[in-house]
Amino acid sequence: MNSVSDLGSIVSRSLHDTLALSLPLFRPELCLAVTVVLLLLCRMLPVLKMLDSAWVALGGAAFALFYAWSDLRGLPGWLGGDALASRQEIFTGLLVFDSLTAYIRLLLMAFLVLYIPFTKVSGIPDREDGADFYTLVLGATLGMCLMASANHLLMVFMAVEMASVPSYALAGLLKGRRASSEAAIKYAVYGAGASGIMLYGMSLLAGLLGSCHLPTMARQLAGLAGAIPAGNLGGVEMVLVLGGLMLAVGLAFKLSAVPFHFWCPDVFEGAAAEVGGFLSVASKTAAVALLLRIAFGLGMPVAVLPGADSSSALAGQAAALQGALLGDARHFMVATIGLMAALTCTLGNLAAYGQNNMKRLLAYSTIAHAGYLLMGVAAAVALSGSHPASARTAVSAVAFYLATYLFMNLGAFAIVAFLRNALRSEEIASYAGLIRTSPGIVVATGVVLVSLIGLPPLAGFWSKFLIFSALVEAISLSAERPLMLVLLVVGGLNTVFSLYYYLRVLKVMTFDPLPADRPGEALSLVSFPGAIVTALAVPVVMLGIFWSGLYACAQLAGAFAS
Amino acid sequence: MNIVSLSAGCCLFATGPLTEPVGVVHYLIVGAILFTAGVVCMALKRNALGVLMGIELVLNGANLNFVAFSSPYLRGAGSATLGLDGQVIALFVILLAAAEAAVALAITLNFYNNHSTVDIDRADDLKG
Amino acid sequence: MGNESMISLSGMVMAPVLAAGLPLAAINWHSVLFLLFASLASIFAVGVVLADNVVRMALYLVFSLAATAGLFFLAGAEFIGAMQLMIYVGGTLVLLVFGVMLTAQAPFVSIKPSAADRALAGLAGSSLLVVLLAAALSVDSWQRPGLSEVTAPTATPLGMALLGMRVDGPAAGAATGAVANGYLLPFEIVSIHLLVVLVGAAYLARAKRRRTPRPIDAAASAVSVVEGSTRVELPAALPPRSGSASALVSGGSK
Repeated sequence: MNSVSDLGSIVSRSLHDTLALSLPLFRPELCLAVTVVLLLLCRMLPVLKMLDSAWVALGGAAFALFYAWSDLRGLPGWLGGDALASRQEIFTGLLVFDSLTAYIRLLLMAFLVLYIPFTKVSGIPDREDGADFYTLVLGATLGMCLMASANHLLMVFMAVEMASVPSYALAGLLKGRRASSEAAIKYAVYGAGASGIMLYGMSLLAGLLGSCHLPTMARQLAGLAGAIPAGNLGGVEMVLVLGGLMLAVGLAFKLSAVPFHFWCPDVFEGAAAEVGGFLSVASKTAAVALLLRIAFGLGMPVAVLPGADSSSALAGQAAALQGALLGDARHFMVATIGLMAALTCTLGNLAAYGQNNMKRLLAYSTIAHAGYLLMGVAAAVALSGSHPASARTAVSAVAFYLATYLFMNLGAFAIVAFLRNALRSEEIASYAGLIRTSPGIVVATGVVLVSLIGLPPLAGFWSKFLIFSALVEAISLSAERPLMLVLLVVGGLNTVFSLYYYLRVLKVMTFDPLPADRPGEALSLVSFPGAIVTALAVPVVMLGIFWSGLYACAQLAGAFAS
Repeated sequence: MNIVSLSAGCCLFATGPLTEPVGVVHYLIVGAILFTAGVVCMALKRNALGVLMGIELVLNGANLNFVAFSSPYLRGAGSATLGLDGQVIALFVILLAAAEAAVALAITLNFYNNHSTVDIDRADDLKG
Repeated sequence: MGNESMISLSGMVMAPVLAAGLPLAAINWHSVLFLLFASLASIFAVGVVLADNVVRMALYLVFSLAATAGLFFLAGAEFIGAMQLMIYVGGTLVLLVFGVMLTAQAPFVSIKPSAADRALAGLAGSSLLVVLLAAALSVDSWQRPGLSEVTAPTATPLGMALLGMRVDGPAAGAATGAVANGYLLPFEIVSIHLLVVLVGAAYLARAKRRRTPRPIDAAASAVSVVEGSTRVELPAALPPRSGSASALVSGGSK
């Protein structure tokens, strides 16, 4: 251990792992990190001060998007190859690069490229605050990328913190306003508490399983389940359940799942609509990815063991054997996630009824959509034990949902922000009669909201359809039949419920009389704000018609659940 | 006050007659006490800074667990340890807690400037 | 809880050591020190919960976390213990004490929760503690007494691990096929995180002079006019697009 030659080999192995294997697959994150530093440096040089920080941030995000796209194209499964072999652990097993990493990273970078122009046009970070705002946004997105690729408990906790702490500051962006500082303090206090509880749960799990590396933990868990006769785990089982539930608290908080959703409406109402859009889209995307990582990381041992010298067929058999032993763990996860999904979806939709503030309505809509996403995850985990191919389809449904959700929800928040600039109000009542002055924006709102409901010609329909068909498959194939049936019924009923409150907004916009003191046209589609809204609403229509290309990408992402 | 004597008694009970070396479980008991104190603090305190202190206690409870699991000689011979992983996690938790406290403090002071109070029960402009 | 009761409590914990009449040679001083630090950490943690005065809470927290550092030393994690003292006790808690001092106006020094809240929290807290203790006591492999001899210090392997190189070999009894993770990535990426957080905290903390009102401030002024301005003292009949109204509303941003 202590001889020089040993140290030399350790150094060279570490250099090889870092420079040759890991960094090339880490380029999007590196772009973000470099941009964060550039944003800081730009403020120091008088010449660069003239440069608007939005363009610097947009440039960095565009580079990151390019690399994320080329990473996805570079996957072996692109255009119908064998996608299963793409799993690669990087940074000595701290992160994992696979199709899910590549897909989620692509979504996050595409989000950034759309989001930065939107905030530039809507004017919430003004010139003076721009550098700070974009530093926080890029820093949080870096954390979200790590959430999507975490393979080790340290990275799980660190990524959650990296995504959360800048978000707390973002919620308090409008620092002179009472509501904004109240939103920030609520978010910070509850968020820090939830991550503390999550850390304690992780410490119990890690201590029991003797590792922090997720695949090793899954193997240890299988060993534990195999060593002790079924149903006789006693105290160990209690520690596992306790640790798992505490870990779920942190994840549920990030997902705004019931019963840890209470922060969401207050934070969205108090913070600027731009920040709400960031939290609603990017933060949810990353949280769903992290949930998939942990649920599949602990519930399904991976076939290819790092450093295992046995043949891959043998390793595959061993993994299948261990997977069979983890049935109880998966059952526990499906029950927890499924229960949360049903509650989240129902409560989000019911609470949205009485809302008069558009941001608050969208907050409850975010909660409800987290419920639909959790249904897909529950179906995927339920299927993963016995029917890996169907589980992959279910994961693809979740991935497709996330992509359409990006356009729909960011579109909704953009409309709220631009209408706030034009009407100086975010109350639904103030949108009365908009169709007479600005029909274009009402059509765009209609597209976005109808897609959020999930009605046929639009993108939202396909994402709901895919989730529900995954549930149907889980009913017919998996052992969790009753729960999946309940989820399907709850999901269907909720879609009907949600018709009312989304359509109420459209009713106010079209049928209610125009107030007498309305100053002319509020928002035209032929303007910068109009262009942004169009850029977000058109994909919602296009993806409703030409959905197969996106679905192919989503299927690629689903292949991670091999 | 009876909680104090309960916890002290619990430590004493667990350590045995003071001639035995301590094991992981003793650290876990202290970690559980710190964690519980932190959670109660978060739930009970109305001063925002008191809530932040509760969060620090929760993180320390978890850190104690990690250090105990990674310690090579708290665990008896033959049982698995986390090795260095637990210590590294504890180290990074200390760092991340510092960062979190800085932002949370800035937010609290901001709240104080706008609301002239640090009582988070009075943060009720937003109904919820 | 006053200081005198604190002193008497520490005495109460140490008393059994002296009263048990054990021969000195048989006493495991590692365990005695553990008992000392563990009881200090626990008692002061409970003190944080019971104290109403926020200055006292901060003081008890300092003691509790310093005692935790002692527990880290006893567990053989000397570097973590040192960091606990330097970063946590010396940095984070001083930051919190600053916060306490900046907001310590008479009405906020002690905000007392209601008796019903206290009773509820006490009940919930004790049941949580019972569950956690039951969990800690339920795993057999955690009950074994530890080893008595002191092993090599861990600071060097820890430093190497942070550079991505593991020189310590697999942990005793570690899982078969376990990967030795190097920690270069978190070590580097945390610097970006700290930078971002620094920018965020500085943004929130600094006052700025605003020349042009932001759209949101104008929106806020419109809202408060609509609501009859219960929160902000505004003349009720301000024209919605006046810049002075938004300047009034955004008075907090100076």
